[in-house]
Amino acid sequence: MKKNSFVLITLLLTAVVLSSFTSVFADGKTTLVVGFDQDFPPYGFVGEDGEFTGYDLEMAAAAAEIMGLEVVYQPIAWDSKDMELDSGTIDCIWNGFTINGREDKYEWTEAYKDAGQVILVKADSDIETLEDLAGKVVAVQTDSSALEALESEDYKDLVAEFKDLLVVAQYNTAFMDLEAGAVDAIAMDLDVANFQIQDKEDQYRILDEMLQAEQYGVGFKLGNTELRDKVQSALEELVKSGKFAEISEKWFEYDSCVMSICKDEA
Amino acid sequence: MSISVMLSKLGEGMITSVLIFTLTLLFSLPLGLIVALARMSKNIILRNFTRIYISIMRGTPLMLQLLVVYFGPYYLFGISISSGYRFWAVILAFSINYAAYFAEIYRGGIESMPLGQYEAARVLGYSESQTFMKIILPQVIKRIIPAITNEVITLIKDTSLAFSIAVTEMFTVAKAIASSEKTMVSYVAAGIFYYVFNFVVAVVMESIEKKLDYYR
Repeated sequence: MKKNSFVLITLLLTAVVLSSFTSVFADGKTTLVVGFDQDFPPYGFVGEDGEFTGYDLEMAAAAAEIMGLEVVYQPIAWDSKDMELDSGTIDCIWNGFTINGREDKYEWTEAYKDAGQVILVKADSDIETLEDLAGKVVAVQTDSSALEALESEDYKDLVAEFKDLLVVAQYNTAFMDLEAGAVDAIAMDLDVANFQIQDKEDQYRILDEMLQAEQYGVGFKLGNTELRDKVQSALEELVKSGKFAEISEKWFEYDSCVMSICKDEA
Repeated sequence: MSISVMLSKLGEGMITSVLIFTLTLLFSLPLGLIVALARMSKNIILRNFTRIYISIMRGTPLMLQLLVVYFGPYYLFGISISSGYRFWAVILAFSINYAAYFAEIYRGGIESMPLGQYEAARVLGYSESQTFMKIILPQVIKRIIPAITNEVITLIKDTSLAFSIAVTEMFTVAKAIASSEKTMVSYVAAGIFYYVFNFVVAVVMESIEKKLDYYR
C-alpha cells in the first residue's frame, strides 16, 4: 500500500516535470506568446465555449498565421505586465493597450484603434457632466488608463472634489459596487463600458463628456523592433486582405482601423 | 456560457489548485521538519540562519515571495525564464513559505516532549536518532495534527494567490468567467468547490487524528 502510493506520486511528479520541459519559450521564433488580461472583454476574455477569445486575440491569431507562428495566449496579472515582458515570458502585450503616455516605454506598432476613457453611471443617476462628479464616489481599475487619466494634472482639481476615488482590482467588482450603490460612477475604457452595458442600456449610461481620447497599439519590449516590424507588416496585410475589417466588424460593428494604410485607402 | 462549460473550466482550474496543494504539502512537510531540526540545532550559525529564514518567510506576504521566486532569476541574475517555470515557481514559493510555518509547529511539538523520555530512552540503550525516530517523532505527529490541519486548510485557500504570476488556478478562472459572462454564478460555484475541497481535507485529517489516538 505504502509502496504503491510512492510509485504513484513518483509517476505524477515525473509527468509534471516532463510536461514543463515541453513548454514554450517566448522567443518569437516558432510561437507568438500574447500577454493579455483575461478580465478585459471584448479585447481578450473567456468566451461562450470556455476558450479565450476577443477582438485583440482574434487579430493576434490572424497576424501570427501570416507570420507563420503559432499563437499562444498567456493570461497575465496586469500589474506584472512589465516584468512578464522584460523577462521574456511573453512576446507582446496585445490587449486594448493604450499608447498615450507610454510612448517611450515599449516598442509600439502603429495605433490600430481609437479608444477613450469615459465615465459610466447608473441610468437614473443625476450625474450629467464631469463637474457633477464632485462629492461622488468614483471607482477605477488599478493600473488602468482611466486611473492614469484621473491622476494626470488635467484632472487634479476634479479628483480633489470627489468624495472618494476608489481603486479596485477589476472592473467587475466595480460594477457590483455600482449596482449595490456603494459607488456612484466608474471611470473606464469606452469599449469595455459599451460591452458591459450591452442589453443593460436601461440600467447604465455613459457620459457624453470623455475623460481622455486615446489609441491602442501592440506593445513590445524596448529594443525588440524586429518582432514589432513583423507584426506591423502582418497587420497591414490583414488590412489589405479585408480580414482586419472582418474581425473589427464582428466585435464592434464598424471597421475600427486607424492605421495610416486604412486612411490612405479611404 | 452553459453551466456545463463553466463547471468544466472551473474543474480545470481546480486540477491546478489541487496540484499546487498536493505538491506543496509533499515538499513542505518534510522540509519543515528539517528546518525545525536546524532551528533547534546546537550549531549557532545554523540556528540563527534558520531563525532569519523563518522570520522572513512569515514576515513578508506570500504574494511578494511568489513574484521574487518567479521574476528574481531574471531581475537579480539576468537568467531568462520560460513560461513553463511559472508553475514550478509557485510550488517552490509555496513550499519554502509553508515549510517555515510547519517548522515552528514541529518545534512546538518536539519541545513539548518531557525530558524524562530522552533519559529513559538512553537508559534503555536507544541511540539519539533511534530515540527521535521511534519515540519522540510519533508522539509529536500525534500532537501537532490539529495545528497542521489549520495550515493545510489555509493552503487550499492560498492557492488563489498563484495568479499573481499568471498561473490560472480555480479562482482566476471564476473571475474571468464572471467578467465575461457578467454573472456571479461562477463565484458561487468556486465557493462551493473550495468548501467541498476543504471539507474533504478536514474529514481526512480528522480520521488520521482518530487513527493515531490509540492510547485513548
